[in-house]
Amino acid sequence: MATNPQEEEVREAAITRESEAAERMRYEAGAAVRQTSLWRDAVRRFSANKAALAAMVAFVLLALYCLIVPFVDPYDPNAVDFSQAYLTPSVHHFFGTDQFGRDLFVRTALGGRISIGIGFAGTFAIMLIGILYGSISGFVGGWLDNGMMRLLDALYGLPYLPFAIITLAIFGTVNFWTMVIALTIASWFTTARVIRGQIISLKENDYVRAARAIGARWNRILFRHLLPNTLGLVIVFVFLELPGVVLGEAFLSFLGLGINPPQASWGSLAQDGYSQYLSHPYIIVIPSVAIAWLILSAFFVADGLRDALDPRTQEV
Amino acid sequence: MLKFVVRRVLWTIPIILLVILMVFGMMKEIKGSPFRRTERAVPAAVMANLNRKFGLDRPWYVQYERYVRDVFTLDLGPSLVLRNQDVNGIVEEHFPVSAELGGLAMLFAIVVGVPLGVISALRANRFTDYAAMLVANVGFSVPAFLTSTLFIYFFAGKWGGFTGLPTNGWDTWSAKVLPVIALGLGPLTYFARLVRGQMLETLQQDYVRTAKAKGLRWRRVVGVHVLRNSLIPAVTAAGPLLGFIVTGSFIIENIFAIPGIGRYYVTSVEGRDYSTVMGITVLLSILIIVANMVVDILYGVLDPRTREART
Repeated sequence: MATNPQEEEVREAAITRESEAAERMRYEAGAAVRQTSLWRDAVRRFSANKAALAAMVAFVLLALYCLIVPFVDPYDPNAVDFSQAYLTPSVHHFFGTDQFGRDLFVRTALGGRISIGIGFAGTFAIMLIGILYGSISGFVGGWLDNGMMRLLDALYGLPYLPFAIITLAIFGTVNFWTMVIALTIASWFTTARVIRGQIISLKENDYVRAARAIGARWNRILFRHLLPNTLGLVIVFVFLELPGVVLGEAFLSFLGLGINPPQASWGSLAQDGYSQYLSHPYIIVIPSVAIAWLILSAFFVADGLRDALDPRTQEV
Repeated sequence: MLKFVVRRVLWTIPIILLVILMVFGMMKEIKGSPFRRTERAVPAAVMANLNRKFGLDRPWYVQYERYVRDVFTLDLGPSLVLRNQDVNGIVEEHFPVSAELGGLAMLFAIVVGVPLGVISALRANRFTDYAAMLVANVGFSVPAFLTSTLFIYFFAGKWGGFTGLPTNGWDTWSAKVLPVIALGLGPLTYFARLVRGQMLETLQQDYVRTAKAKGLRWRRVVGVHVLRNSLIPAVTAAGPLLGFIVTGSFIIENIFAIPGIGRYYVTSVEGRDYSTVMGITVLLSILIIVANMVVDILYGVLDPRTREART
């Protein structure tokens, strides 16, 4: 906090003025007047967007299903009982059972934990690398920025799947964390590029110039003025990157390069179903629909967030 | 203009070198030698000879230099696992299949996706728009392995007698229908949404209002002023879409048992066939780098404002 007495005085004066003005307005209007902040504004705009709101509800419902069902479902997800094999969906087994008689309602929820877990961990890693790379490049500028962007240009558009497969081969084992690294390694380019663009455009703002003019150090400008203002963009990108990571994991699992059994993700459940789709199509449909549900809801949430956090795009 | 093209083309050379170095470095990190796959005990001398034959005993930069030289003379080296077969032969056998699959899928996506986007934009926020965008969003979010499986289940299985479509292979035209549609569905929705967004933006431009105000027929306004300016940005989509197609082909080729490069790739990784994995990865990367270059140049030609920024 600032301890400069002059600054303190100015602030106090401002607060008094503000509260006085507010008082007066409240008095004149005869009702409570509420201040709105940027975030409250964003929440209001987001709530007004029906598609985004519905998508958010769908997203939360899916997450709750994955979190809660394994605790309350009476069936053991790994218990093998061949007398119960291949039961089609019913009131006892909402999603039916697989070839070992395992309940798919609870297995899909557990698979969702792994899929969404890898999704969020991978997205977090992508954001971390993207923010680090993008903000260094954009903030330092000059030849470093030039070089870093050239490097990104070089890597841009490379398909992530071959590189993910090679990465898994390097580790030799597939578990939660190697999967996260494999899916991150060739997926952070877009985020880094967008963050860099945002930092560069923010740098031209008057408040940043003012901060620089009064002698603020670089770390204050970066951490106080620039990075907090990329937060909205970062939140949007979390929901844009999440589906990609989840889908990538599903693809790898489907190709047989996923997490080892008895653990299962939506991708490996789908692979399981694929081997018997002619006789029991519901086994592949259920985890695939879960993936589609996640992708679709995350996408609409991202869309709504973008509109809510950036009023300029509202007109379209 | 010439300067822009030359600079852009020259710039791809260090990019390709860098990507090869990256792939090369990653392949070096993979544990386990390809020669240890046999159960028989191999004498140390034989092992050393094998390593010498494939140049694995030299320092990494010598290997890298040799590899780059080979790549630029279009020689991807011998397969480490399949005797008497080299990577070139494998690529020549499998790549045309994948290229045909990808090309047809892209064509399908453009032919259906672009008109879909245009119609959606012209009927914005009406029933047609909502219906088209619903289809596009569902097509975008359902994973490729479900759409392909459902295609096989219904069109080749249940109604197979009626449609006459086979479930797998790549020999006849009828065998190509389902995989091409399954692979093209993702890019199709991408095109449709991109074109729709661009159209909506262009429709609000001043020159469109002017064209309308001076009494041009609506068809001419859309055809000349809106459509042309909206389709230019769609060109840039070709880069990411190629990556999309490559990724999708891995799945689709597996499901439809198509003898393409994506299916072969997975087998090669499991068999630790380093040189094949490396060769295919390098090939796909170069393909995408060159596609990005072509897109950049095309975009520079179509929209001169971007020339400076993109060199």
